[in-house]
Amino acid sequence: MALETLSWSGTCRLQRWHEIDMSVVSAFLVPGSPLPRIQGGNPPWDAMAKALSAAGDVLASTDPDSIVVYSTQWIAVLDQLWQTREQVAGRHVDENWHEFGVLEYDMAIDVELATACIEESSSIGVKSKAVNYDGFPIDTGTIVADSFLNRIRKPVVVTSNNVYHDMAVTESIGQLVAKSAREQRKDIAVVAVGGLSGAFFRQEIIPEDDRIFSEAYDSANRKMLDLICSGNCQKAMAFVPEYNEQASPEMGFKHFGFVSGALGHKYSKAEVHHYGPLYGSGGAVIEFQV
Amino acid sequence: MDTGKILAGFLAPHPPHLVYGENPPQNEPRSKGGWEPLRWAYERARENLEKYKPDVLLVHSPHWVTQQGHHFLGVQNLCGKSVDPIFPNLFRYSFELNVDVELAEACCEEASAAGLTAKMMRNPEFRVDYGTITTLHMIRPQWDIPIVGISANNSPYYLGTREGLEEMDILGSATRRAVENTGRRAVLLASNTLCHYHFSEEPAVPEDMSQEHPHDYEGYLWDMRVIELLRRGRTNEVFELLPQFIDEAFAEVKSGAFTWMFSAMGYPNIPGELHGYGTVIGTGNAVMEWDMSAAALA
Repeated sequence: MALETLSWSGTCRLQRWHEIDMSVVSAFLVPGSPLPRIQGGNPPWDAMAKALSAAGDVLASTDPDSIVVYSTQWIAVLDQLWQTREQVAGRHVDENWHEFGVLEYDMAIDVELATACIEESSSIGVKSKAVNYDGFPIDTGTIVADSFLNRIRKPVVVTSNNVYHDMAVTESIGQLVAKSAREQRKDIAVVAVGGLSGAFFRQEIIPEDDRIFSEAYDSANRKMLDLICSGNCQKAMAFVPEYNEQASPEMGFKHFGFVSGALGHKYSKAEVHHYGPLYGSGGAVIEFQV
Repeated sequence: MDTGKILAGFLAPHPPHLVYGENPPQNEPRSKGGWEPLRWAYERARENLEKYKPDVLLVHSPHWVTQQGHHFLGVQNLCGKSVDPIFPNLFRYSFELNVDVELAEACCEEASAAGLTAKMMRNPEFRVDYGTITTLHMIRPQWDIPIVGISANNSPYYLGTREGLEEMDILGSATRRAVENTGRRAVLLASNTLCHYHFSEEPAVPEDMSQEHPHDYEGYLWDMRVIELLRRGRTNEVFELLPQFIDEAFAEVKSGAFTWMFSAMGYPNIPGELHGYGTVIGTGNAVMEWDMSAAALA
């Protein structure tokens, strides 16, 4: 968006950038399990599906130019990968929950913002690479998040989880995205996709019987959520190493690091729209109030 | 119906670089070669596979990950385009394969009967993982032998190495019973790398072999130690060492295919034939064969 073409609303946005130097207009942490999408009618997962839809309503109300999705399920081992194909669409079958059908997706990519992130990533010591291939397998977490939170069909920036990046690097990538968006005068919504406690049921269960794997994991999750909701980002981040020990969250809870980094480690408070089990593992729909 | 039997097992690793280096028509990217010692190793393995004339190839891949149980491909014909999410620049492969559904169902039933969570994959739109495809292409590029594809439950990562590999042992025994009961002449493929530490950046020209070498000396030494024991038929010693090997070399055999295959073969203390060894972005890969009929154990 060029300055000379700013509309009235654009002018207001420009004023806001000057005042609070923020490009992030909304931010969320959501689980990547497909169960709320493909089995959302089942009692334990319907509440999660409703919460995800509610988060989508909130996101829509903030009217971002683009939505940035960081999914722990897009695994990278070489470089930081960024989707740069203008349109990614297809039908995806989850490798574990294949019996529940197909997830359809159709996303417009904000190639301009993704490219800026790639170009700027060397400034934080990260090597990035563009991904622009027909048939590239978009991960389940990204698809599920897009389906619930991007009903307004905004362009998205989709980036990977390099398993060798630690929390600090992940935070800096989140910061990089926010900075790049600011430089392009774009408002963004940030969606970090990942779970809470990682222990899950390995055997088939009756959906109605789903619960957090153990009371200890449940307790650790609730403590983490309380800290996140307090609005004291530094305190919540400081608890993550202990939380990792207690609850083995997905990917060391780096998804929280990404959203924290994007928010500059500042938000007024957070609201948990829903917290519950996803086949034993923990999941929460969290809205950060920026 | 004659009792089925396992004719041979192959350690058949799945770096997509090998397909990329070969330039088959199914793969979009083009290369100037690379990783020749490993590709030539697979050429020798292909020749030996031909002599077995198997009814079916069973492959266990660490890149089809299923958290709830061990899954088996259960659709007779599967086709599509498999793009490697890690190396999309190297592997964009149009596949078409035939599944031996009857044997897959028998494997699934035997696994369930043995107390494992097991499930058939019946979705016709399922995209087969690149590990399965790479191993199958490298061992049999004609794609003219039906296959059984088995997922990685990753129990060794979730439960711990020893407990998890015990499950893979049970899965292997169940597979053997299924092969015997269905009268199949089967070849097993363990799609695993050995030492799995790797470089974090890719050379500008991926097939520039001046950049290829073992990631670290310790991992190389581990690989040679394990291969030498396998070449001498000291299988029992290998399995005694396996947890230490996995811990110290980050060996991909932790994902279970290697244990599954040896369990199905009855852990024979017979020499394995090394067709070749090479590294791919620093990881150690061996193509090896255990001829069960030659050992008069089949």
